[in-house]
Amino acid sequence: MVRLITHNLLACHAKGCTSNNFPLRFSNVKLALREADFNPDFIRGFLPRIEWDALVQASREIGDTSLPPERPEMLDDDFLKQLHHVLLEIHVDEGSMTCPNCEHVYPISSGIPNMLLAEHEIR
Amino acid sequence: MATLGHAKVITTVVDDDPAAYEQRYVHEVYDRIAYHFSSTRYKPWPLVSKFLFNIPTGWVGLDSGTGNGKYLPLPTDNPGRIWTVGLDRSPNLLSLARTAGVVRGDVLEGGWRRGAFDYAISIATLHHLATVDRRVTVVKRLFESVSPRHGRILIYVWASTDGQDVFVPWVLQVSTATDGVRHEASRTNEDRDVRTDARTCQIGTEAAQQMGLKVSPRLAEAEGVEEAEGKEGIEIIASGWERSNYYIELWRWQK
Ligand SMILES: [Zn+2]
Repeated sequence: MVRLITHNLLACHAKGCTSNNFPLRFSNVKLALREADFNPDFIRGFLPRIEWDALVQASREIGDTSLPPERPEMLDDDFLKQLHHVLLEIHVDEGSMTCPNCEHVYPISSGIPNMLLAEHEIR
Repeated sequence: MATLGHAKVITTVVDDDPAAYEQRYVHEVYDRIAYHFSSTRYKPWPLVSKFLFNIPTGWVGLDSGTGNGKYLPLPTDNPGRIWTVGLDRSPNLLSLARTAGVVRGDVLEGGWRRGAFDYAISIATLHHLATVDRRVTVVKRLFESVSPRHGRILIYVWASTDGQDVFVPWVLQVSTATDGVRHEASRTNEDRDVRTDARTCQIGTEAAQQMGLKVSPRLAEAEGVEEAEGKEGIEIIASGWERSNYYIELWRWQK
């Protein structure tokens, strides 16, 4: 399933595309909200590894404007819950992701992103 | 026959085109038997569970060749404490794993930010690749996917000859049959112990060397990374057999 936690780890891997190759830009998305168990320890531990700018940009592309532009230093429960929601509860069921560098398009279908490349595109 | 370092490696190329071979004998088969496969493969291997149990809270990982995604919900004692994303080529297997995070892709390719993960596992996947070079590539992708400072990796190689599954042989000698496709020949326990062990380590070593990573066996605890040769490398933490599977656990270090 494409949630923003997955999206934050993805990068374009087409042949020769090695810089400015994330975050992939969402377009034509169909979203669904599905509740997930909140584990504050996980969110707290994962926070320093997040590419924050990429997460903020991606969440705005799919219509969620709740995250602050800077990674906050004070982590209260409300913020951790909001971050949990953005990372794990918004599902992109259909749509596509486009590389900001080479414009390769990765489709999302039935919630599964397809990162396979055609043979001539593989590095 | 290919040579990796000093170890002789018998490859199992059965076709001029290894990708076509894998497509025919691995991907298509798995996609066809996805439901049956899933119903017979629900039990996690204990060593894999233990590896995931020991991962620190808040870490994210990659299961490269996840199949039906049975490792993605672990550890069961505290679900959601870590988060594993699964990668596989088979859409039918992935559809069984949809409640977790899964991505359709190839274990030979990529699709991740470099070093995005804190850990990566490759369970019973490597032996599906038809040549040594392709197995080395898969291991390189694992090395690239994890943090160069602390990334942990578990590689688990299925050496079973379980008749009903269709696998590209991993440690087996091959012989050419009349149809031009090579089939696995007989194998002894001795073959298993010597060959899988040596080859898995050789493949890991080759992958590391191609990336300019130093390979060290267990670093002495008192000395640690600072005393190790080179600027970055891998350390093999453990290796051995669990039933008919061979495993290697290692981590990436950087000064
Ligand atoms: Zn690109």
